[in-house]
Amino acid sequence: MNEVRTLIVDDSSVMRKIVERALRQAGLDSLVVLEANNGAEGLDLLRSKQVDLILSDINMPSMDGLEFLRQIQAQKLAQNVPVVMITTESSEEHVKQAIQAGAKGYIRKPFTAEQVKERVLSLLTTA
Amino acid sequence: MLLNGVRWDGTSRSMDQGISGLERAMTFSLKESVHLVSDPANLDGSVDEVFRLMLGVNCLRQSKEPSSHAKAEEESVTAVVGFGGALSGACVFRCDARTAMSVAAHMTGMEFQEIDDTVKDGIGEICNMLAGAWKGKVPELAANCGLSVPAVITGRDYNLHVQSPQFQLHHRYSFIDAHFDVTIVCDSLQ
Repeated sequence: MNEVRTLIVDDSSVMRKIVERALRQAGLDSLVVLEANNGAEGLDLLRSKQVDLILSDINMPSMDGLEFLRQIQAQKLAQNVPVVMITTESSEEHVKQAIQAGAKGYIRKPFTAEQVKERVLSLLTTA
Repeated sequence: MLLNGVRWDGTSRSMDQGISGLERAMTFSLKESVHLVSDPANLDGSVDEVFRLMLGVNCLRQSKEPSSHAKAEEESVTAVVGFGGALSGACVFRCDARTAMSVAAHMTGMEFQEIDDTVKDGIGEICNMLAGAWKGKVPELAANCGLSVPAVITGRDYNLHVQSPQFQLHHRYSFIDAHFDVTIVCDSLQ
């Protein structure tokens, strides 16, 4: 697979590391990771950098993941780039809100590397 | 409509309403389902799931009741994630410094000699996932209970006090040679 530029948005640096490790375990060896601490930082990065994939938490201070998704759409940033939400929130209502806001996938914390692989690889091959 | 003994009128909500928005939108009752919400097996299952998937270790629940008082001379780390909406309360994770560093090491693959920001961040995330997994065991809670971002406290000789909760689960678990306490405090159920 070609270089995959991935933006990971999470207020936890530990979770960003774990997500990156899971992506590498999923076979994305040519991974280039950009990290943001919240949605606002994520938007700033998307204004100056091109990415192939976005993975975002939902519960974050400053700008949460759903508002981040809405702003990506409203500001026409990273168009056609798949966004996967990785979050502890797992109800149907939350999944529905994320999909309505533009998410292409949803991974519930705690997760396995296999779950990340399953969700992410299918999106990258169809993107 | 009645779902698993829970009255529900299907009012839709948005996460950006925050915890106070959830409270305003709440028009059903979980009080009749307190036995489901307070089932100790839900907490055991949540701890097992989080530690097995994120740390690759199996946890055992200890039969000995955890003490609410840490040894004064021992540094401890406590993470708190608040619940709001259908249930008001908190999930509290508490361990000694050695266990906190072991948890963070298992999560990141790094080694730690002190309770630095990464260790605190890791413990906060563990508490966040435990809170999310625990409320996810009861569908009505999963949909109608919000989580705060984690707060992490470190230090020696401190106690956490709660005033007459509706119910409280207080379990001690161990993995390898480390042990930790998890407490679910429910102040009120809608």
